[in-house]
Amino acid sequence: MTTTSNMPSGWSRRSILKGGAALGAAGLTMPFMGQAFAQDNTLSFWQFYAPGGDVKPQVDWFVKMVADWNATQSEQVALEYVVGSEYIGGTKLATSFASGQGPDIFIISPGDFLRYYNGGVLQDLTPAIEEAARADFPESVIANRMVDGKIYGVPMEVEPMAFYYSVKAFEEAGLNENDVPQSWDQLLEIGKKLTTAERYGVLFETNPGYYQNFTWYPFMWQGGGEFQSAEGKSAFDSPATVQALKLWQDAVNSGAAPRQMLGGGGGDIVANLGSGYCAMQNVGIWGISAMDNNAPDVPYGIFKLPVPTGGKYVTVGGGWAFVANSKGKNPEAAAKFIAWALASMAPDSVQRVVDWCTVAKSDMPPRNSALTAGGDAFNKGNMGIFGTQIHPGTRAEPRVPPEVYKIISDAIQQTQLGGADPQATATAASQQLDAFLASYSGAPIL
Amino acid sequence: MTEITTTAAGGRPAAIRLTTKQREAIAGVLFVAPDAIGLMLFIGLPMLLALGISVFEVDGFGGFKFVGLANYSKMWVDPLFWSSLRVTAQFTVMLVPLLYVTGLGLALLVQRTSKFNTIMRSMFFAPQMVSLVVVALVWQLMVVDKLGVLTRFAASIGLGGISFLGDPNLALFTVTLAAVWFLMGFYMLIFLGGLQDIPKEYYEAARIDGASATQSFWFITLPLLRPTSFFVLLVSAVAAITGAQAFDLIYVMTRGGPANSTALLISYIYQQAFQYSAFGYAAALATLLVVLLMAVTVFFFLLTRGGRFDYE
Amino acid sequence: MSNLSRSQANVVRLVWMLVTVVLAVMAIFPLLYMLSIAFKGPTEVFKSNLIPTKPVLDNFVYVLTEVPFWRYLINTFVISAVVTVVALFFHTMAGYALARLKFPGREVVFLAMFSTFLVSLPVIIVPLFILVRSMGMLNSYAGLIIPAIFNAFGIFLLRQYYLSLPKELEEAAVIDGAGYWRIYTSVILPLSRPIIAALAILFFLANWNSFLWPLTVASDPNLWVVQVAIANFKSQYAASWNYTMAASTIVAVPMLVLFVIFQRQIMDSIKTSGLKG
Repeated sequence: MTTTSNMPSGWSRRSILKGGAALGAAGLTMPFMGQAFAQDNTLSFWQFYAPGGDVKPQVDWFVKMVADWNATQSEQVALEYVVGSEYIGGTKLATSFASGQGPDIFIISPGDFLRYYNGGVLQDLTPAIEEAARADFPESVIANRMVDGKIYGVPMEVEPMAFYYSVKAFEEAGLNENDVPQSWDQLLEIGKKLTTAERYGVLFETNPGYYQNFTWYPFMWQGGGEFQSAEGKSAFDSPATVQALKLWQDAVNSGAAPRQMLGGGGGDIVANLGSGYCAMQNVGIWGISAMDNNAPDVPYGIFKLPVPTGGKYVTVGGGWAFVANSKGKNPEAAAKFIAWALASMAPDSVQRVVDWCTVAKSDMPPRNSALTAGGDAFNKGNMGIFGTQIHPGTRAEPRVPPEVYKIISDAIQQTQLGGADPQATATAASQQLDAFLASYSGAPIL
Repeated sequence: MTEITTTAAGGRPAAIRLTTKQREAIAGVLFVAPDAIGLMLFIGLPMLLALGISVFEVDGFGGFKFVGLANYSKMWVDPLFWSSLRVTAQFTVMLVPLLYVTGLGLALLVQRTSKFNTIMRSMFFAPQMVSLVVVALVWQLMVVDKLGVLTRFAASIGLGGISFLGDPNLALFTVTLAAVWFLMGFYMLIFLGGLQDIPKEYYEAARIDGASATQSFWFITLPLLRPTSFFVLLVSAVAAITGAQAFDLIYVMTRGGPANSTALLISYIYQQAFQYSAFGYAAALATLLVVLLMAVTVFFFLLTRGGRFDYE
Repeated sequence: MSNLSRSQANVVRLVWMLVTVVLAVMAIFPLLYMLSIAFKGPTEVFKSNLIPTKPVLDNFVYVLTEVPFWRYLINTFVISAVVTVVALFFHTMAGYALARLKFPGREVVFLAMFSTFLVSLPVIIVPLFILVRSMGMLNSYAGLIIPAIFNAFGIFLLRQYYLSLPKELEEAAVIDGAGYWRIYTSVILPLSRPIIAALAILFFLANWNSFLWPLTVASDPNLWVVQVAIANFKSQYAASWNYTMAASTIVAVPMLVLFVIFQRQIMDSIKTSGLKG
């Protein structure tokens, strides 16, 4: 990760590979097969909401956006679909970038930001965004997409984490909505109460990955923990970190939390809470639309993350952002498209954000004007609980380099499922973090 | 291509008179050429390029720096590499014998040709018909904590409260079982072919001599199955070490967890390349993997004179 | 005495069959789960009951009508069929030469070919992608088909098979003055019909279920294969597993039929090496 975009280098991996490839290709020319590679200037836009996918309005939103743009602009944009699981954990995006043929516009989560930024492929979008629109994005939402005061990604959504509970499970245990846990001790205690021979009381993500780290951060923050100090050193070896690791470990050891998830994992609420596998589940705001669409007959409630003794409420907000490839066909036009789509003060741009967060998904909007324009959609019902109680304590998902992600992930896994001592694990992870941070030279980790 | 082959191999009078040996050599080269060129182009060349990258630091976005053997020395002090190597070894040591025994066992079970066995063979082969993603999801359901069919079965025989995929000590064993279930039909087929090559007269002679079924198996079946065994052991060992099919299965079932207990070397390579964009380090790891496999192959080939056994 | 042993033999046979049936049921048990989920509604998918409480056909209807699934099936069929036929042609030629024809460097060539068996696709996918792109084969059937043809497994299996064929058959043809091409077409190919049938099933199946390469080389939804389409039922956090299972059932059925039809031929055939006679 030491190379940046302007690193002087006589070699380029691309040219070497190309040379090799040409060598092979020279032997065999096959003019009769295949279409010539697209030579036109249409900008390619990669995302993972493809036709026939999970939710139709999400695909429609993308299709309409691109059609609207193409109808009025000379620079054309074309959607290319990469199926969901492959976009996120697969080879396709990395393969296309490694071969020097990345998409012109694509979407990334905060977990991926530094990898692409440090790789030098993110285009500075600031010149394309008007000042008023820039101020429309709250600092907590846009900060982790910025470096040195410049914007490199425009968020399309904010997805805060909370807890969902099954009303039926609560009733069976003689509990009601006034009994929702407010402290960690209550969470464990009620979790045990709700545990039966066929059901777990409380569920935290168990699959290793960026998502598991993401869901764990608020528990670390609540006690005042951080993985990095203001001086850029590791702050992982702290009581707050240790107690967060211990909370997840205790939940599993007490038998209240499972070691394995159903379906798509801890973020999949229908598979777990909806099927009755657990009574309380740590999920984000997307759970609302997931439950409403796929488990309409399962009554559920929502409550904000409980806090540890002496702790302060905070949750984490994730979400994806549009970014442009600075090595693409026409990075300026791509930046213009992104600004037009999500970050312009024009009413249709604001409405587009509202539509995405209300019609296509159930999310919090990343813009103040969209929050206002959406009105009741963000204040009533289950969305209202997020809008009024949960969202105000949202902190942006940290952007970390892959190496830091892995160190934290291993610490969570070893304590939660491997039975390791939280204090010893935190100390060891902290040493690894220090070793890495000492040699890290990319954009600031947030 | 075929035109040339016909002329050269067809033995028509050519301008230059070729000896039989020369004609055979030319025919051999031409026959092997299409596949040899294709393999070289579409696997060999990418393989050399992929391995060549191992002496560079590559960021996956065009950044590219020669670092000599740094990627290899990094391996030496990388605990995750050693743990993935250990997991791969454990996986191979469990998978290869299990596949051999189940493949051969099933083949012996349904060896005789009958309507009944025809149906049974189809059932044993059926797992091959579905994709690994489906296999992984169904297995996940069968072994899920508390509710899974296998979890309940374990509880009923006194193994309550175990987590097949959530316990780091058990997860690798569980995914190995799933892999065996998926692959056994394939190896059954191969063993069935091998068994049919054994002349029936041998068994009759043995029976007349008063040999028991067990004795026939040890003194006739097993020795005469040597070529098949060679093929099965080599192919399954390579498949286990490269993680050819198991990789997808494990990735969907556990994502390498819990606590890296099912992270094979191939999963680690995949992670380094596609999630960290560390293509240089991934290439170094891949090079090591290929060297390991070469060693295994050479061992097998030396043991069996190139897999030729009694012929030539 | 002989009566007793006959009844003993019957008992043994019965036990044998019983064991076989139990194992076979265990083997297909997970597939019954797949079938069961294909008939379940979205909330019932993760319940562990094997018999759906309210079986529905909606999932099949969705897969076959809301998604151009027929197109994906046809794409997959065309790709699998072409790869299988071409691969078998090349591999039988190569296997024959490697087993029966003497030419300088034969063992080296064999080892080099075998060594390509030692790398898995994720390891070479980036250079392979660049190569295929530089040939202008991205987003085309050629890109989906040609790189999938070459596979050392088939060559290795065929070589082992040809090693075991009796030499006399060829020698007769040589005495008749036949060239090597004639020997290949009129002696070797007919003799290997059974193993070709077996390999045809294995190749077809492998391509029918392949995912990573089709995903990488084709972005155009018109070129999608079934496994890519099925993966598309999965989104960031959740998946429509009921659709996935319905689609997988649809995809598996033709394979099962094919297997049952060809299985006699396969059973009579697969030989990795074997003995004369």
